[in-house]
Amino acid sequence: MSMEDYDFLFKIVLIGNAGVGKTCLVRRFTQGLFPPGQGATIGVDFMIKTVEINGEKVKLQIWDTAGQERFRSITQSYYRSANALILTYDITCEESFRCLPEWLREIEQYASNKLTVLGNKIDLADKREVSQQRAAEFSEAQDMYYLETSAKESDNARQNTLENNVSSPLPGEGKSISYLTCCNFN
Amino acid sequence: MALTTWALGPALRLCAAGPVCSWEMLHVAGAGVCGCCGALRPRYKRLVDNIFPEDPEDGLVKTNMEKLTFYALSAPEKLDRIGAYLSERLIRDVSRHRYGYVCIAMEALDQLLMACHCQSINLFVESFLKMVAKLLESEKPNLQILGTNSFVKFANIEEDTPSYHRSYDFFVSRFSEMCHSSHDDLDIRTKIRMSGIKGLQGVVRKTVNDELQANIWDPQHMDKIVPSLLFNLQHVEESESRSPSPLQATEKEKESPTELAERCLRELLGRAAYGNIKNAIKPVLIHLDNHSLWEPKIFATCCFRIIMYSIQPQHSHLVIQQLLGHLDANSKSAATVRAGIVEVLSEAAVIAASGSVGPTVLEVFNTLLRQLRLSIDYALTGSYDCGAGVSTKIIKEHEERMFQEAVIKTIGSFASTLPTYQQSEVMVFIMNKVPLPSTQQSIEAGKAGENRNRLTQIMLLKSLLQVSVGFQCSNMLTALPSVFLDRLLSAALMEDAEIRLFVLEILISFIDRHGNRQKFSTISTISDISVLKLKVDKCSRQDTVFMKKHGQQLYRHIYLICKEESNVQAHYEALYSMLMLISIELANEEVMVDLIRLVLAVQEIAQINEDNLTAYNRCALFALGAAYLNLISQLTTVPTFCQHIHEVIEMRQKEAPYLLPEDVFVERPRLSKSLDRLGPEVFFWQSKISEVLGGSGYNSDRLSTPYVPQLTDEDRLSKRKSIGETISLQVEVESRNSPEREQRAPAEEITYETLKKAIDSVAVEEQERERRRQVVEKFQKAPFEEIAAHCGARATLLQSKLNQIFEITIRPPPSPSGTITAAYGQPQNHSIPVYEMKFPDLCVY
Repeated sequence: MSMEDYDFLFKIVLIGNAGVGKTCLVRRFTQGLFPPGQGATIGVDFMIKTVEINGEKVKLQIWDTAGQERFRSITQSYYRSANALILTYDITCEESFRCLPEWLREIEQYASNKLTVLGNKIDLADKREVSQQRAAEFSEAQDMYYLETSAKESDNARQNTLENNVSSPLPGEGKSISYLTCCNFN
Repeated sequence: MALTTWALGPALRLCAAGPVCSWEMLHVAGAGVCGCCGALRPRYKRLVDNIFPEDPEDGLVKTNMEKLTFYALSAPEKLDRIGAYLSERLIRDVSRHRYGYVCIAMEALDQLLMACHCQSINLFVESFLKMVAKLLESEKPNLQILGTNSFVKFANIEEDTPSYHRSYDFFVSRFSEMCHSSHDDLDIRTKIRMSGIKGLQGVVRKTVNDELQANIWDPQHMDKIVPSLLFNLQHVEESESRSPSPLQATEKEKESPTELAERCLRELLGRAAYGNIKNAIKPVLIHLDNHSLWEPKIFATCCFRIIMYSIQPQHSHLVIQQLLGHLDANSKSAATVRAGIVEVLSEAAVIAASGSVGPTVLEVFNTLLRQLRLSIDYALTGSYDCGAGVSTKIIKEHEERMFQEAVIKTIGSFASTLPTYQQSEVMVFIMNKVPLPSTQQSIEAGKAGENRNRLTQIMLLKSLLQVSVGFQCSNMLTALPSVFLDRLLSAALMEDAEIRLFVLEILISFIDRHGNRQKFSTISTISDISVLKLKVDKCSRQDTVFMKKHGQQLYRHIYLICKEESNVQAHYEALYSMLMLISIELANEEVMVDLIRLVLAVQEIAQINEDNLTAYNRCALFALGAAYLNLISQLTTVPTFCQHIHEVIEMRQKEAPYLLPEDVFVERPRLSKSLDRLGPEVFFWQSKISEVLGGSGYNSDRLSTPYVPQLTDEDRLSKRKSIGETISLQVEVESRNSPEREQRAPAEEITYETLKKAIDSVAVEEQERERRRQVVEKFQKAPFEEIAAHCGARATLLQSKLNQIFEITIRPPPSPSGTITAAYGQPQNHSIPVYEMKFPDLCVY
């Protein structure tokens, strides 16, 4: 039946410390806007975005998790079935970068996906605390993709990088899941 | 173009399936060319199209819907295609933002679902779920709610055919997410959250009983569902407490997420089978951890109340086990957290009642006692693993104290759920954990160790007291096995006044089986016993046996406790209660006589005052005697006895009111220093009492013999730090002596005889053996001359000499304690040195 409105379905989960801008990234990506004064996410947030890559419709289910410690248990339960995980940190906050190994440990318990590390808030480059080089080295050592973005001043190029990053590596990983095997809608 | 794709799909499928109607073939040909050619469209499509009105505002076209329903019912094999087509339309309408049509499509779907038979639904469900999912994907709250509502309706249909390939992953994820909605508009937020809860409820209903379907009890689902429900349970509670207007509050009451979440949670837990409990409870524990909800306790207890009441009763002990496990896992958490868990445990235990403990009774208590010990350690060292910060110590100690109290309370609530025989098992278990110096139980030297021991003793005795309060037994003999009683009583002889009091309290709660103890809580000389409204049963046979076996032991301890200088009012009150309760619960005539003798002996303690007691102690003992004799005389109902007691009391009232409880046991007791110059008329006289009671058939011989506790020499050493050394001794003495003692009236005088007998039989044997051994040794090792000399000596001479020595050795015991020790198992200590000294001399000659 070709009545599906997509060819591929991927579940993407964003994780990272509280306040690094996960929700803003998702909003920017799905709705193209930067929500000022975004409050802390409660539990989980859900967004859908369909993108077209090489003529194939890819539907992305994006689960934006709360960074706060107290929701850790419920957010963990969302990692499990994810096709991709995006580990976010704030380039202006050393702490959020230093927590990445901790996050990695946690992820290993629940999922074994290829990760993408995302440094957010490059619009605040003058307050940068985590150098690009350091992050790149870290990501390489852990065999992860690495990118820096800004949800706020997202010019289109940056937006595309996120988009490409989110969608393109996946089929190449052999993790592509067609709608037939991805059981959600069957 | 969209039209093409959707039209082609089903048609091609049909081709593959085999029989194809000609007009459908026609349509396949025509569809691509002319999508609007209505007449050529298959019937089901036309029927579906017809239910949609021109203007979505008009709503579902009812008559056409009926036609569609009729068609679906008469041709159920077409259902899947109807569903597919409807969902296609819906998906298209959603993406085109034509929400009116979306609603109509959903309504039609619902109606079809309801109308169709269970068997045929299966064909239809896939497209139905797809549509719901589509709606749930939307950002529009209305569509989310619409989708949820349909899903809930679907969930309530009981299907009888299993569907192997359905998965509710997305629904669980999405509904859980909705439960956490943070929509800006409070009203909408509430609606979305409620939808989420309802959706979860639906998923649970749909899957819970179907083993073929995705296992809803898997951690991956439970970890989403349970926290989402708890989040709503807890969150709205907060917002409700500060709800602005009463009007809004009443509206909320009608249907609040809290209530809904609670209902859903109850339903979920009620369906949990044995193997699923763990997965369902674990997220609760983690949620409470993460949101730090143990500390104010209210929510945690509320949660577990819900859990315990809704879970199937035969599984409650699993919950308890998990809580205990969690407590262990949190050994190093703040005391407040642990206290919270323990508090919850206690509540849960009460709710689960008999089901709370499960098969591993002692394990439960072991865990609690271990926590108690740990907490004592923490409080003493001020840190969880030594090396403390001083600043936090004070707070911690205070919190640890609260935690300890909570544990003790919990031990009590657990124990109260057990049957009697297990209760006494538990008490023996706890008693065995009390560190007594005699046993090799982690006794640590030094001040810190002592302190720790003392705290542990107190805490464990407190736990014991808690257990004993809820303990109801008819048979004292089985309730208080000797092992237990011995240990307990030995604790009573410790220097520590607090511990002594605990032991008394514990004994009292054992003996009091008719709830009389409160009536003796204050010491007084009331003139009419009937105001106390005592409940008295006749002393049973077992009780008599118990007193025969343990009576002397109890008297002796009461006597010794009376002598303690550190006693305060509470002790005297406890002693009084204990005496009275023994008299009421366990006394036959003989016991009564013994008790009177005991009390008279206590009076003598105060009178003679060998131990240099303070004036307060002495007055208190006098007063105690007066109060007891006053009541006991009324219990015996011997008029002359009553009269004597009454006279003495009256005399005291006149001459020496400071010898009566009314003057002693007050906040500021009036004491007299001239206790040694009292006239004989203010005392109770043994001769007088035995005379009056003898006249009424009591054993006056026995009565006139003053009570002298056994082993007084031993106990004069009483200011011992450890009661250890006496325990073994005293235990053996009691067990050995009691049978004989009971037969012969004055129990005390028998000691010497018994001891002598014991020494004769045991020591002679021992010495004989030793002698033989040494003789053999001598022959083996000694030089030839010596042996030769020895052989020359007369055997009879040797024998007579030996006998002489035996007599010398045995008769006069070197010290009382020596005698006793010799009698009980280690005679070598004393007899051998004497023997060894003499033997060589003897051999030489």
